Amino acid sequence: MSSTPSGGGSNEPAAVELRGITKRFPGVVANHDIDITVAPGTVHAIVGENGAGKSTLMKTLYGMHRPDEGTIHIRGQEVRFHSPSDAIRHGIGMVHQHFMLADNLTVLENVVLGAERRHGIGRKARARIQELSAQYGLGVDPDRLMEDLGVGDRQRVEILKVLYRGARTIILDEPTAVLVPQEVDELFDNLRVLKREGLTVIFISHKLDEVLSVADDITVIRRGTTVATADPRTTTARQLATLMVGGELPVPELRESTVTDKVVLALAGVTLLSAEGRPVVDDVTLDIREGEIVGIAGVEGNGQSELIEAIMGMRRASSGTITLEEHDITHWSTLRIREAGVGYIPEDRHRHGVLLDSPLWENRVLGHQTRAPSVNGPWINRPGARADSERIVAEYDVRTPNIDVVADALSGGNQQKFIIGREMSGNPRFLVAAHPTRGVDVGAQSAIWEQLREARAAGLAVLLISADLDELIGMSDTLHVILRGRLVAEADPTSVTPEQLGSAMTGAGLDGAGAHTEGDSGAEGTHSNESEDGA
Amino acid sequence: MAVFVSLAGLRVITGQDMLTDAGTVRTTLTFAVPIGLAALGGLWAERAGIINIGLEGMMIFGTWFGAYFAWSFNDPWIGLLAGTLGGMLGGLVHAVATVTFAVDHIVSGVAINILALGAMRYLSILVYSDIPGAGAAQSPSAPSFPTLNLPWLPEALAPVAQSGIFLVSDLAALVIGLTTRMSALTLIAILLVPISYLVLWKTTFGLRLRSVGENPDAAESLGVPVYTLKYVAVVISGGLAGMGGVFLAIVASQIYQEGQTGGRGYIGLAAMIFGNWRPGGLAMGATLFGYTDALQLRGGGAAIHALLLLLAVVLLVVAVWQVRKDRKGIAVAGVLAAIVLLFWYFSTDSLPRELATYSPHIATLLVLSLASQRLRAPAGIGKQWRASRS
Repeated sequence: MSSTPSGGGSNEPAAVELRGITKRFPGVVANHDIDITVAPGTVHAIVGENGAGKSTLMKTLYGMHRPDEGTIHIRGQEVRFHSPSDAIRHGIGMVHQHFMLADNLTVLENVVLGAERRHGIGRKARARIQELSAQYGLGVDPDRLMEDLGVGDRQRVEILKVLYRGARTIILDEPTAVLVPQEVDELFDNLRVLKREGLTVIFISHKLDEVLSVADDITVIRRGTTVATADPRTTTARQLATLMVGGELPVPELRESTVTDKVVLALAGVTLLSAEGRPVVDDVTLDIREGEIVGIAGVEGNGQSELIEAIMGMRRASSGTITLEEHDITHWSTLRIREAGVGYIPEDRHRHGVLLDSPLWENRVLGHQTRAPSVNGPWINRPGARADSERIVAEYDVRTPNIDVVADALSGGNQQKFIIGREMSGNPRFLVAAHPTRGVDVGAQSAIWEQLREARAAGLAVLLISADLDELIGMSDTLHVILRGRLVAEADPTSVTPEQLGSAMTGAGLDGAGAHTEGDSGAEGTHSNESEDGA
Repeated sequence: MAVFVSLAGLRVITGQDMLTDAGTVRTTLTFAVPIGLAALGGLWAERAGIINIGLEGMMIFGTWFGAYFAWSFNDPWIGLLAGTLGGMLGGLVHAVATVTFAVDHIVSGVAINILALGAMRYLSILVYSDIPGAGAAQSPSAPSFPTLNLPWLPEALAPVAQSGIFLVSDLAALVIGLTTRMSALTLIAILLVPISYLVLWKTTFGLRLRSVGENPDAAESLGVPVYTLKYVAVVISGGLAGMGGVFLAIVASQIYQEGQTGGRGYIGLAAMIFGNWRPGGLAMGATLFGYTDALQLRGGGAAIHALLLLLAVVLLVVAVWQVRKDRKGIAVAGVLAAIVLLFWYFSTDSLPRELATYSPHIATLLVLSLASQRLRAPAGIGKQWRASRS
């Protein structure tokens, strides 16, 4: 199947034309028979699930590896790329999903690196950057240090980097994954300017509403091959989703309420100070009840991680108390907190959740190294831990050949399911779930949601933190917005929209139905207490 | 500058003329140059993301090859060339191990240090066995580099330096120290500091090299040859360390001796770290190390003793500063240490010999670690890196 250009001039050659691209890696075929035609001066979206082969395809196009079969044409001319520099020479630039920027260098240095021959590294380069920045409305200051810039600015620097190299076709790999809705809108404005200036944009995403709002053409990839082309003006998100997964898309939703009156975890005026003495979590008061999922929405870096780490005893709260049922756990160690029945799905599973180089059953023991069935007195209970690992693999549908493979051999989704299975064992009463479906494919996502729902029905209290606003809205009984360490608003998950939530996350306030800011409500009393303490 | 003023003050208060006289300035340079060259070597390697703990071994190569070739050709410049090449050879070994074979940087560095020691002893036995006055542990004496003198300025300034006026005579002594009997290699070493700065921060090559040390993935994605640059950086690093070795062998003592480097590679690395991975900072660190070394050598216990007073004052200042930043623990520790030092200063006249030998480096480390609270290492340092292409 091939796509037909719908935008741009009809007699102009295609900006990029891929024919029959096949790429094999040992043991897997990542791409086969890919056919895509990208018309010049358009935004062309390539959509597909995680693992569908979008990134492999883009690496092929960017010269990071060579296809085993198939041809690439750039503006009507057949090309063979041996390295990214070849691609750059043909006017193709790529903005990676994970930014390729050196924090300790300035914007100017990051932009000119590798392209010093164009305008040197001094005054002329600076002038060129300012010129490009003005032409495409990017608003980039060449002399800022990279580490001082926010995510949106970093992305604009990445775009500027490829423009500086004279790119006419820009590949954006999942550009919105790290952005909040307002930043996404800014990015889309930038993309429209690029298009108006005659550039071609290839936009890779699995977020369908975004694709529909910005793209001129859409190509759908499933299981490594192009399955369809769609016109965004006549296609709905649901139709695209069906094409993408080859079936219905799972929806995060809770059925009937299971919330009880019994408070499991209570935070009272919890405050954490950074090393510089600035509050990163500021006077957070929150009750989480049995059978309740409390969601916290916020742009990353607004104190969510620190709040979780305080609950888990990985950081000490500067003031305030954390109560688990009847115990004050504020000063307990992480191990003791876990033994008291708190499960933890960490936000970065490679940093906190698993040992990648250890087999699954050893990972099962982690965090449960004082409890049956993992241990037997001072000894590790190997048969017990192995048997329980088998149970987790079966119950949570972890796709793995056996429990002796190292965790690294599993895909992210399966690692995550194993972690959830481990954290759910030993009947926890409270679960901290940080980004439980991050980097997980659609199938695993619905399984994880189902597990959370079942645990909630069984009376588990859950604190849910996520960057996926649909997940937060769909899976929360109660929804709070955190901004600069404060809970600034409470939203009603039955009526709030992602846009409203997004604007509350950036501090613009939560307008519309079903919401009130917390400063107006019961939190007032705590605030005045706090100011008395400070005086 | 502030350091110099306070030293001048200290000289007036304690009456230890040695603290700032021309001889001390010259000796400081002699001690600071090898440390500074090692530190520069460390800078080059670490800016490209490779920890070079093998500087010590590369200096040993420098001392041996420098002395041997200078002696056998009777030309110090050939010695300099050979010693630098010897250091580069050590750097190349380190680069092969760490860059190509992804050996842990520390392991490879320590291995080079051990290897250098043994290999040079072996070579000494091989070539010096029949030479009178030389043997397994030392070489015959090597010819010196020419020395540089300014024609009339030192004589003109001599009376000023003798006058003993606060700051004026100290400055005069500093100028005399810097303009008389300076070895050509010292001048080269001093010039290498600004040259390194210019190359690393003001050229395309330097930008690429630093980007490799900050984020090799980013550099690779932009077509920067990461492996090549790492190799170049580590080889240059070895060359600078080797040059430091040549200085030790030919300028500081005129013969190669086993164990001559005496840990200066490590000290250089420390000077570079406390100099915040910047040429200016490491030059200051090296000077500080050289200065305390010089004092120890020239004045022994009495001069170091005078430094106790300065150290106590510095600690008090740091303590006050920490109170203002609301870090009471450090402040209290600082005050207590200062009180102990003051008590020590007023209750004794000199430092015991055993302590005096080691005190310079300890004192310098203390000062540097207090002065450098916000260090910023290159982000990609010490990491094993593999090109991502399949």
